[in-house]
Amino acid sequence: MAEDIEDGPAMDVKRFAALAEAYGGDLRRWPQAERQAASAFASSETGQAISRKAATLDALLDRYSVPHPGRALHDTILRVADRHIVRRRRQRFWWLGLGLAGIGLAGAIAGLALVTVVTPEVPPDHYVLDANATAFGDAGPETIEEDL
Amino acid sequence: MSADPDEELVRRVGAGDPAAVQTLVARKLPRILSLAVRMLGDAAEAEDVAQETFVRIWRHASSWRRGNARFDSWIHRVTLNLCYDRLRRRRELVTDDLPDMVDPAPLPDAREEPRRIEQALQAIAPRQREAIILVYYQEMSNIEAAATLEISVDALESLLSRGRRALHMILARDGVHD
Repeated sequence: MAEDIEDGPAMDVKRFAALAEAYGGDLRRWPQAERQAASAFASSETGQAISRKAATLDALLDRYSVPHPGRALHDTILRVADRHIVRRRRQRFWWLGLGLAGIGLAGAIAGLALVTVVTPEVPPDHYVLDANATAFGDAGPETIEEDL
Repeated sequence: MSADPDEELVRRVGAGDPAAVQTLVARKLPRILSLAVRMLGDAAEAEDVAQETFVRIWRHASSWRRGNARFDSWIHRVTLNLCYDRLRRRRELVTDDLPDMVDPAPLPDAREEPRRIEQALQAIAPRQREAIILVYYQEMSNIEAAATLEISVDALESLLSRGRRALHMILARDGVHD
């Protein structure tokens, strides 16, 4: 129970009765900004009568208490929480693993690309013969030195 | 807006800190359960609602960011929504008018009085019941309660007044209240 706007309206019988009807006879439940004015008014005869009337319903509401949570409920909630925490940790590891794998794969691809671009083209020592080539190399007319 | 006293705890829960989880349960379970019991008037259903509320907390804690409402207001809203789901399923929504008396039998003894009050609370309109529970039993300020119910403070005061008048009439008719 607390906080409200800075300036509440001036307190009169009508406003006091309206607040008592809404919030009951205990001023601690009233809007904070109006408590001081209400407190002064509550000491008047009219204020006391209104507060008394509201307090009778408050007293009845007080008698309706509910039991505190049992141990079983408490433990069940903690067990479920444990499962959620474990699952979240697993998910985190899974995403971390996936992230690392992704980084590794990206590195490998980048490395391969770099090697491909940077490495100079080396002429092959041997070339593969295709269907038109012969084992004797150039098949053009031979020039015999002696003929010249 | 003032600081949220639960913000740091929720952050730790979101990070998976088991000690924070225990603290949060110890701090919030009694409030959530009492809200659900008073909204539903059924302890077993209220326990189910409390468990469901915590499941939502575990799911959302890591992504929870304070907007216009405090964490406590948010869990109250979650609990109330879950209670409404159950009330809708029961088809027990009543009108804003004074409902029929739940049990017209004479009051056997003083031990029955809390039961009569519980019945009277269940007999009024759910929105009025919410307002009374938040301000009276959950000890929320008018501003917090209005924010939780997503209504203005004036509308909250109207719900409270009508709710208390309805309770007064039911209890007077039952002979519990003058």
